[in-house]
Amino acid sequence: MPIDKKQIIELEKVTVEGIELGPQWNRMFEQRVIFDYDTEAMDKVTSIAGAESMGWCYQCTQCIPVCPVNQAGGEYGPRKIFRKLQQGIDLFTNDDLWKCTTCMNCLRVCPKEVDMIKIMPAIREESVLEGNVPDELQEVFEKTFEYGNPMGESQRKRADWVKEREVDVPIMKEIKRPVDILWFVECYPAYHNRGKDAAAALAKVLNALDVDYGILGTEEKCSCDSQRLAGETGLFEEFAEHNIALFRKYKAKTVMTMDPHALNAMRHEYPKMGSKSKVIHYTTYLAPLIDKMQFSKSLDYKVTFHDPCYLGRHNGEFEAPRRLIEAIPGLQLTEMGRCKQQSYCCGGGGGGMWLDGFMSDHINERLSENRVREAVETGADILVVCCPYEVSRFEDAVKSTGNEGKLLVKDIAELLAESMAL
Amino acid sequence: MANENVLIIGGGAAGIEAAKGISGLGFKAILVEKRDRLGGTPDEEKYAALTPDLRDTQEALGDLMAPIKDNPLVDIHYNTLVTGASGELGNFTIKALQLGKEIEFQVGAVIIATGFKHFDPGRETQKYSYYELDDVITLTDAEKMLSEHKFVRPSNGEEPKRLCFIQCVGSRDRRLGNEYCSKVCCGISSKQSIEIKKLLPDCKIYIFYIDMRMYGYWENEIYWPAQEKYKVNYIKGMATEIVKKGDKVLVKGEDTTLRRPMEVEMDMVILAVGMEPSEGTQQMAEIFGLNKNKYGFIETTGGCLDTVSTNVPGVYAVGATTGPADLEDSVSTGGLAAMKALSAIRSLAVTA
Repeated sequence: MPIDKKQIIELEKVTVEGIELGPQWNRMFEQRVIFDYDTEAMDKVTSIAGAESMGWCYQCTQCIPVCPVNQAGGEYGPRKIFRKLQQGIDLFTNDDLWKCTTCMNCLRVCPKEVDMIKIMPAIREESVLEGNVPDELQEVFEKTFEYGNPMGESQRKRADWVKEREVDVPIMKEIKRPVDILWFVECYPAYHNRGKDAAAALAKVLNALDVDYGILGTEEKCSCDSQRLAGETGLFEEFAEHNIALFRKYKAKTVMTMDPHALNAMRHEYPKMGSKSKVIHYTTYLAPLIDKMQFSKSLDYKVTFHDPCYLGRHNGEFEAPRRLIEAIPGLQLTEMGRCKQQSYCCGGGGGGMWLDGFMSDHINERLSENRVREAVETGADILVVCCPYEVSRFEDAVKSTGNEGKLLVKDIAELLAESMAL
Repeated sequence: MANENVLIIGGGAAGIEAAKGISGLGFKAILVEKRDRLGGTPDEEKYAALTPDLRDTQEALGDLMAPIKDNPLVDIHYNTLVTGASGELGNFTIKALQLGKEIEFQVGAVIIATGFKHFDPGRETQKYSYYELDDVITLTDAEKMLSEHKFVRPSNGEEPKRLCFIQCVGSRDRRLGNEYCSKVCCGISSKQSIEIKKLLPDCKIYIFYIDMRMYGYWENEIYWPAQEKYKVNYIKGMATEIVKKGDKVLVKGEDTTLRRPMEVEMDMVILAVGMEPSEGTQQMAEIFGLNKNKYGFIETTGGCLDTVSTNVPGVYAVGATTGPADLEDSVSTGGLAAMKALSAIRSLAVTA
């Protein structure tokens, strides 16, 4: 609704605490009257399978203080979305649809179980089908579809990190036998420069521990969990079938991954499509093997740890990463205020990884910047992570918040390898 | 020697339960009722279904009163008004008028179960236009329609497409002298929303409220289903006035969470009227010399730990005679008073 000029209140001059303010500085808007509560917008949302709980909110407001987007100035959270829907705003075409990172902090505290983790992909799926998707996200969908990864890198180069980093990593189609641990590398460790560092470090640790493992190499395709949560269900299902077929082909009893998003898909979605493989995060796999690790170098750093949303809140693993950090000689762990269940989102989940441009119009700071500031406040030298989205996000945020040189971002695997002098 | 009969004044849910308790323990209950039938306000005002379980009112009341009908230990006196009382615990003489004829009862204790009346929104003429606009009705008017399984706009007999409830009419109001919360209206509005939605699935229903006050299981048994299953829209902010606009009514208020004024057209408005002490309750307080609180309800003496004893030993007040009460409260206090009345009489016998 356009603003009627009559609703603008503007005085030629006002004096506030001795300071004269001209018209544009004292401009106020008369509040528009609500003439209708059209239920169509809400009904359209709640009629979609998976999105029913959007209508359950009783405005208790508990979600708002824990919504990371709201904390970053994004005027967001399920309570606010409910209220906007009650006013008749069409969520299917509204920017609000794309702000949610599906971090699950709202669901954690919601007494009515308004479940954004189900609501968001359900509504986004409809919008994706209608072509109402932010351009940068659409581009990622297309790249994933064409190349098997969101960066648009060549599928043939998916295992190049092995040679590039000169690590010895068994590849399934070469070894041609089942292994104890099928390592699902996933896109960021396979292609992103800092992801490769972590992947190579993990390979060295696995080799030092004499683990019987293998990777899928060029056969592997993106798990697409974030694309699924961003509404690309079709793409997700196609790739899931592909990966499940590989698990079956290689008789994988246990799949291990560095990526909590892949873990989430494979643990909760793949079984619905027939997968029988058990899936664990690499920290969960390594924590019981601490006694076998031979640490030869003390790392005298103060560190803090960021719980990935999809490892912690979504999949309940809070202890394994901490056990590993505490096992490394020299490291001193100081927790951030928002840790474990309360962990603050890095901004990368639910499609947020590919929406930084879009989000910059809606928030005052990146979520990763908010988090980096909190990490710096602990006095840590290193922000320890164990999700491949985070290294790149937090390193960017370290730079953009002016903390370069003060804070390093490292994967647990890198610290393990360093301390084991691998 | 103490008289062991107990007089119960008022044949609503609380009085019936008290009579059940007295007779069930093997003593004589004398139940006087001013109307020619039992059932109290739910029956008189033709409630459709009880809150929170949505059970048919007549069926539920029928089950409640079955044990005292044709029970040799329960004397029911219809069309009877109590007019005077004298005596004390163990020995009261009660005067009454039965169809113009004076009668007398000798009893050991008295249970007053004369209930409440609904707030008359006509007292708020300039706000809610209850007597001016046909399509502005009360919860009780709505109950009558719902009990006939027909829900239409009184102005034209058509089914409403949009209607709203306005909560706290006549309650929580210092100017009206009713500062208390009437306790049941939030639940009843939500219950009626469900009933209306069952009859008219396409009708849009809004509830304008200050606070939704859902006690205990009413939250999950009425409020949540109303919102989640029946898609009733709860909007925080109580409407201030209702004016005619064409063949509709315009509800004016403020949406407090948006901090914006609102003027919304409705086909019908249902005023969630609260409870006040009934005339019978006020008269009984006078006749028995009972303390009343500032709102005219009978005051009990034991605070939250004795909800039925009054300042007169041997006289007990139950149900909505002491303040807003739901049916759960009414039957609970009815049964409690039966036990307390008999134990008071019996302890006299022991000490004598």
